Amino acid sequence: MTEQRRHRILMVSDFFYPNFGGVENHIYYLSQCLLKLGHKVVVMTHAYGNRSGVRYMTGGLKVYYIPWKPFLMQNTLPTFYGTLSIIRTILIREKISLIHGHQAFSTLCHEALMHGRTMGYKVVFTDHSLYGFADVGSIHMNKVLQFTLADVTEAICVSHTSKENTVLRSGLPPEKVFVIPNAVDTAMFKPAPQKLGSDEIIIVVISRLVYRKGADLLVEIIPEVCRLYPNVRFIVGGDGPKRVRLEEMREKHSLQDRVDMLGAVPHAKVRSVLISGHIFLNSSLTEAFCIAILEAASCGLLTVSTRVGGVPEVLPDDMVVLAKPDPSDMVQAIEKAIRILPQIDPQAMHLRMKKLYSWHDVAKRTEIVYDRALRCSNQDLLERLSRYLTCGAWAGKLFCFVMIIDFLLWRLLQLWQPDVDIEVVPDIMHFRHGDPPEDFNKDNS
Amino acid sequence: METSGNENLSQTQTKWRKVAYGGMQLGFDDNHTDDSFLEEMVMNANVVKRDMLKVMLDSVSISQYLCIVSLVVLVWAHTLGSTFNENSLLLLDITLLGSGFFVLLLTAEMLSFHLLLNYVLKISYFITGLYALSPIYHTLTRSISSDTIWALTTSLVILHLFLHNYAGSTVKAPGALDKPTLSSNISLNSSIVASLLIASRLPSRLHVFAIVLFSLQVFLFAPLVTYCIKKYSFRLHLGFSFGLMAVTLGFVYRFDGLVFVVLLGVLVFVNLVCPWWLIRIQEYKFEINGPWDEAKLCFNITD
Repeated sequence: MTEQRRHRILMVSDFFYPNFGGVENHIYYLSQCLLKLGHKVVVMTHAYGNRSGVRYMTGGLKVYYIPWKPFLMQNTLPTFYGTLSIIRTILIREKISLIHGHQAFSTLCHEALMHGRTMGYKVVFTDHSLYGFADVGSIHMNKVLQFTLADVTEAICVSHTSKENTVLRSGLPPEKVFVIPNAVDTAMFKPAPQKLGSDEIIIVVISRLVYRKGADLLVEIIPEVCRLYPNVRFIVGGDGPKRVRLEEMREKHSLQDRVDMLGAVPHAKVRSVLISGHIFLNSSLTEAFCIAILEAASCGLLTVSTRVGGVPEVLPDDMVVLAKPDPSDMVQAIEKAIRILPQIDPQAMHLRMKKLYSWHDVAKRTEIVYDRALRCSNQDLLERLSRYLTCGAWAGKLFCFVMIIDFLLWRLLQLWQPDVDIEVVPDIMHFRHGDPPEDFNKDNS
Repeated sequence: METSGNENLSQTQTKWRKVAYGGMQLGFDDNHTDDSFLEEMVMNANVVKRDMLKVMLDSVSISQYLCIVSLVVLVWAHTLGSTFNENSLLLLDITLLGSGFFVLLLTAEMLSFHLLLNYVLKISYFITGLYALSPIYHTLTRSISSDTIWALTTSLVILHLFLHNYAGSTVKAPGALDKPTLSSNISLNSSIVASLLIASRLPSRLHVFAIVLFSLQVFLFAPLVTYCIKKYSFRLHLGFSFGLMAVTLGFVYRFDGLVFVVLLGVLVFVNLVCPWWLIRIQEYKFEINGPWDEAKLCFNITD
């Protein structure tokens, strides 16, 4: 029996509770499963409104809401060295051994990884989204990502398409990138106890109504499907700038009794909306990995989706019908779904999903990545600087300069506020019902 | 024995599949990179291969416009130096107007009598308005020092050249499809302000009227006329451009030697050096497309 090394992990991202979303859920569930495996997990994010300071969540998950307000799209202001002091304090207080940053779009993540490398910690980065190469925003984002990933220990992507995209954007060697997909909480997303009647077919759509999620495709598809099939009804949940277009479409084709617009659906009510339908429709134009499809499949719905990004990898072919992001193709896919609907058994689908996806499996695979990361050798400043120089003729030298300044600032901080002066947090073991009491003196280093 | 050995071999050789479900694939690590990695990547799908001669011929329209602007600045310099008097300027204006209309009649495709009458009416309104407003322009910048005026004019003319729409025409030609963009509007406005600033330094109101009419004629209508010439016949366009370049260089040589050298240098740079440079750096173009791209909607979104 190999001895499990207990890791002490700091998860960093701008996106966490009380926001709900793919990245937020991923961090939360992964942290909970890692806690159950016996590791210590601490989460760091920015302040949300009045919510600032240290909070504890289920299972003893400690969350540091550092007192920085978000300034643009949930991101903190990127001052290069402003967060050095507080990150150093947290790392020393909690005796962290490894930093895990999430989402390329999060400035706090990039800063934490940069400071972590300066101070000699091992870092792991998870990328949750796909990005392009051609527009100005993407070019800058990719350069920043290249900087951060020049010296990362290991990287994780949520799908194989996302791995290809990340490798192209950042220039990492493909062997350094692990593919560990998201999962779904099958205990929460259970199908309806009784199978729904099949005289009326209900198609559910739950997504933010924005351009990226294909709301314009919906405007073209819904009237066509309603015309072809008189017994089909739509339930549209979610809000956004394109909601106006959907309402107009509803008025124009007089579909008020066949299309229900629910508005924004809180996360706790998503299941109840899902189990009221037979088919789940996803029309997004780009997705690295679509968790909404997993939630729908776990509730026993047959999925119809656009074939974009990482979606073809997510579900087996008999649980999803894929189509090109083109209205006529999507209508044909919905027709096929309606045809094969009688063969679908929600309970069987739910049991299959339990075997295919599980957060515990994700946590175990992530633990393997952590083990590998911690086995890597330490590198001093000069060796690391040579990695940054490969980023580009001008950019490489700029990045080296930034890292040298960071190193000097760290040394200055060490002189001003020595490591021994920072108080270390004692380990608190949490009891769970039915577990025998843990021995506090057992040393897990 | 052999069969069990073969069975073991086939078990560990289960094919790696590009799927995310089902947990870790048996026999493969999570960072396994299959041979099909980056198989669906498409490189440089939309890149146009450029031909040196064609690029050089296209750059002739840029140097043609540069010559036109340098001729305008030359007329300004001569007027400010009292080499031209107001009568010769007025004669120049009328000649230009007449020849512009003549060229338009010859080369524009969709010119009907009604449209022509429309143009004549608008131009007469324009000229009348300018004549009425010229006293205002005459005293507009009396309190501003001359140095400021020269500096402002120079920067406005350079801004105008930078933002000018060399491909089309800001004033919509009959039958043209391009909508004017923001930068072409800014460039037009800066050229008009520059001509008004220069006009305000002149001695009499008639001077002001003549120079403003001349500048505005050229800046507003020269792109239109050159666009019509280009659409009518490319050879005519080339001949006209080279003739214009020769005439400009001749006049500038008589005016000042240093300016002549600068203008010659700029023309050589635009016509010869820039096409070569553009084609040389085309090799570095690296356009990446693949399954990770955001899907493009094939229909137009009508609000």
